[in-house]
Amino acid sequence: MSSERSEIGGAGAPSLEARLRRLEEIVAQLEMEELELDRALALFEEGVGHVKEAEATLAAAELKVEELLGEGDADETRPLDDEDEG
Amino acid sequence: MANLDLFDPVEEPEGKSESFPPASSGDETDAGSPPEPTIWTVSQLNQAVRTLLEESLPPLWVSGEVANWKRAGSGHCYFTLKDESAQLRCVMWRGDASRLPMDPEEGMRIRTFGQLTLYEARGDFQLVARQLEGEEGEGLWRLAFEKLRKRLGDEGLLAPERKRPLPRFPQAIGVVTSLTGAALHDILTVLRRRAPWLRVLVAGTRVQGEGAALEIARAVDRLGGSGKVDLLIVGRGGGSIEDLWAFNEEPVARALASCPVPVVSAVGHEVDVTISDLVADLRAPTPSAAAEAVAPDKEEILRYLRGAGERLARGLRRGVDVQSRTLSKARSELRRAGNRMMEPRRRSLTLAHGALARLGRGLLEPRQRMLASLRVELARGVRALQRRRRDTLSRLVGTMDALSPLSTLRRGYAVPLDDGGRLLRTVRDFAAGLEFDLRVVDGKVRCESLGTRNDEVTGEQ
Repeated sequence: MSSERSEIGGAGAPSLEARLRRLEEIVAQLEMEELELDRALALFEEGVGHVKEAEATLAAAELKVEELLGEGDADETRPLDDEDEG
Repeated sequence: MANLDLFDPVEEPEGKSESFPPASSGDETDAGSPPEPTIWTVSQLNQAVRTLLEESLPPLWVSGEVANWKRAGSGHCYFTLKDESAQLRCVMWRGDASRLPMDPEEGMRIRTFGQLTLYEARGDFQLVARQLEGEEGEGLWRLAFEKLRKRLGDEGLLAPERKRPLPRFPQAIGVVTSLTGAALHDILTVLRRRAPWLRVLVAGTRVQGEGAALEIARAVDRLGGSGKVDLLIVGRGGGSIEDLWAFNEEPVARALASCPVPVVSAVGHEVDVTISDLVADLRAPTPSAAAEAVAPDKEEILRYLRGAGERLARGLRRGVDVQSRTLSKARSELRRAGNRMMEPRRRSLTLAHGALARLGRGLLEPRQRMLASLRVELARGVRALQRRRRDTLSRLVGTMDALSPLSTLRRGYAVPLDDGGRLLRTVRDFAAGLEFDLRVVDGKVRCESLGTRNDEVTGEQ
């Protein structure tokens, strides 16, 4: 289910959630497991990449709100611009 | 029956009849002849009584037991209220009846508020009930709530182990609530602040009034099953127990229970818990609190990311350290392992040795003891045998001595023997002319038989 939606971040990049989960895995592996040096280095680089990308995502994101339309519309959605902060 | 009683007052004084003009004229009231009775139509009378009832008795509370509750296809409800000795016919029109959380049960003690009236078409005296609640004031609400809670509980739908954890980093959140309510506004405000990268999918529904429960349930089914959201927030802002009632209804409870993604209930209210709260995976006290609960905080994630950078670097350094430590540890491990492997084998060898020795001793000793005792017995046996033999021998010698013919011959007896050495015992053995030997103690005498004579007395010996 989550892989189906992992494109939300746009342009095929992994979602913030996927990045955070992967980052947790990498940190856990580096901290807990006994890795070969090459492998540790590769994980480190991948992890640093996720940190940078995730920070960029947070800086840019804006809440996307959509409405689930009636059943006649085959579960389609449309943007819901309800809020004028008040 | 009631109709009959009501005839009494109108037959009496004229004062009253002015307000309810009867059909006949009142011209002859003072005439000497007996006055013509005032004749009413049934409609006039029922209308008069109805007015009388409605004007003389304000709306009131009445308590009793419910009997024959019937909800008609029109939505109107008809029932009888009774105590030990009397009953009262009641009706509750659809508008009021639709606000009841459940129909009262037969025999249930209730109190109801309404207006007494006369149903003119039938002449029935009845109460038009506007409100209805349990006698203790707890109301049908509480009863309906408890009944549903018990039923769902019996099915295991309220069990704590059914509660699913919320995803830590949801990506898309579903919200089922009114599109125009404060609840949605509150939820979106919180999400925008805490987790602006989220996608929010809203299914708008009515959240109170007739049919709201089914709408909510349907929205939960559709949104929860859409595969587009990681969890659901279902709720509305605060209100009276009647306003919140949809969240206490079975269709909503079942939709939440069967929702494929975790559900947070967010019904804005302070004290009362709703059935939705009990079935949901998490109960939030308000819609804002629900949003707080489901959305990871942006600041928190940023802190986490900064921390993660440092942990990655430490992890890498640690990787190097670990490698060299691993090597030396492995070396000593290997040595220890070698010792560990030898030790038990050495021990078991010693053990086996001892066991073998003990086993040998164990096998030999009893046998040696047996052998010794056998030897003693054998010696004893041999001695006993020899003694027995000696005894037998001397006894035999005695017997033989007694039986020996020599001693008989010595006493002067003789024994005839034929040439074959056989004993000749009877006269039949001595054919005439038979030559034979007569054995005496010191030799043989050659004889010849000259004849025989039977001697009955002697016979055979």
